[in-house]
Amino acid sequence: MTVYTVPTSVEVQPIVRAAGVHKSFGDKHILTGVDLEVDRGEVVVLVGPSGAGKTTFLRTLNRLESIDSGEIEVNGQRIGQRANPRGRLVELSPRDLAQQRADIGFVFQHFNLFPHMTVLENIWHAPVHVKHERKADAVGYARELLVRVGLADKADARPRSLSGGQQQRVAIARALAMRPALMLFDEPTSALDPEMVGEVLAVMRDLADAGMTMIVVSHEMGFTREVADRVIVMDDGRIIESGEPDQVFTAPRHERTRQFLSKVL
Amino acid sequence: MTFDWSYFWQSLLTPSPQFLNGLALTIIISVVAMALALVLGLFIALMGRSRFIPFRLFASLYIWVIRGTPLLVQLVIIYTGFAAAGLFRFEDVDLFGALIKGAVQAAIVGLMLNESAYISEIVRSGLESVDRGQNEAALSLGMTPLGAMRRIIVPQAIRVMVPPLGNSFNGLMKSTSILSIIGVAEMFQIGSTMSSSTFKVFEIYIVVALYYLLLTTVWTFVQTAIENALNARAGLPRAEPVLKRLFGFRSRRHPAVTAPVLQPVDAA
Repeated sequence: MTVYTVPTSVEVQPIVRAAGVHKSFGDKHILTGVDLEVDRGEVVVLVGPSGAGKTTFLRTLNRLESIDSGEIEVNGQRIGQRANPRGRLVELSPRDLAQQRADIGFVFQHFNLFPHMTVLENIWHAPVHVKHERKADAVGYARELLVRVGLADKADARPRSLSGGQQQRVAIARALAMRPALMLFDEPTSALDPEMVGEVLAVMRDLADAGMTMIVVSHEMGFTREVADRVIVMDDGRIIESGEPDQVFTAPRHERTRQFLSKVL
Repeated sequence: MTFDWSYFWQSLLTPSPQFLNGLALTIIISVVAMALALVLGLFIALMGRSRFIPFRLFASLYIWVIRGTPLLVQLVIIYTGFAAAGLFRFEDVDLFGALIKGAVQAAIVGLMLNESAYISEIVRSGLESVDRGQNEAALSLGMTPLGAMRRIIVPQAIRVMVPPLGNSFNGLMKSTSILSIIGVAEMFQIGSTMSSSTFKVFEIYIVVALYYLLLTTVWTFVQTAIENALNARAGLPRAEPVLKRLFGFRSRRHPAVTAPVLQPVDAA
């Protein structure tokens, strides 16, 4: 049994479509033309050496990072931009952008739980204040999610009293509470002590089994091999290789992939 | 040394109605000026963070000028200077049956302007002390930038801002003593009038000093209560006890914002 409700859709178009995405910070060219399509229900893991642009690319998908050129669509909507009547691209209003983001869950490396709220309030806060759900419903769902991530007894605790692994599981529950169509994970286990990595990966595996569309930046090769439908290898701001984990890990086509894998496997 | 103990005790324990009026005026001016300065200071801080360049320019110019000139000079310019130049004169007004003297209005305006520059800096550093990840988390959950500010950033920043704001108010109450220069009948002014008519200079000013001390001490208790209330709401331990902070050194001119106290604990 699962309590995640993954929106079912008859649409066959990919849920994420990125084309020719470029992004620079100052004179540093971080993304040099990224193209990616992700289907509904797919679990995609982005790997690659640090500085390859994985995190930056992930952050462009819900426009925590703007892009210099290219195009990103999630759920058939261009993220953060719209065409004005003259056909020019203009920035979306903050309100419209917020609405787009509400459908995209994001899990941060450093959790970013709200320290001035209890664990339970962290989870129901956005559904009530952003989606205007009835509080009783939102609290009920928040409790279900806490059960699901194995922290039912921590509902009234403060985030800072939890371990890193527990905080990250709460952060996942907080993102799920918005019933997102897509979940993005930015190195969700990188800030954790080794003994806490497993509990977070277990929750993510569970989520993948439930059919959630997930894009994960991760260095956890075991998890990737087991859970990913597709591995994307990034290097120097672009995708250099993509395929099923077994194929990429055992028979990489690209020399850079081989070099990278020899260091992490 | 001559010290008239009986006059001292009499002035301290049974102050004249005149002196009590001065004390009341000191309190009223401080509280009103602080309340207005909080609003104005917040406004200036928000202008300083605006994407609109003229706003940012105005905010930094304002802070530069106000913090770079003495309060005393500002007061004299506002009250006496403007009137002398025929620009603006503070007239006595009748507010709900209470007569508000022009000098008192000028005092409140002057203190408000002066204090707001310091407050805007406290607000700015308070907002900046909240980890950027908090804003990103809020945005990723579909909050608008304004909603994130209101629900996530400000509640955390307030806890960081209260101690320097409290120090600022403490300083403001003492600054009211220079209002005598524009003829406001606050506590210090009453004290100097009394001293020139009785020649009990030492006794009078010791009493005046003790009353200022009483004001700031009472405020220390209030501030501690506010901090404790905020801490309880945020699930933090209680603030340091009043007795300890009373005998610690605190400075108003360099409101040191404490390190962000509400950061998420990284698992390290």
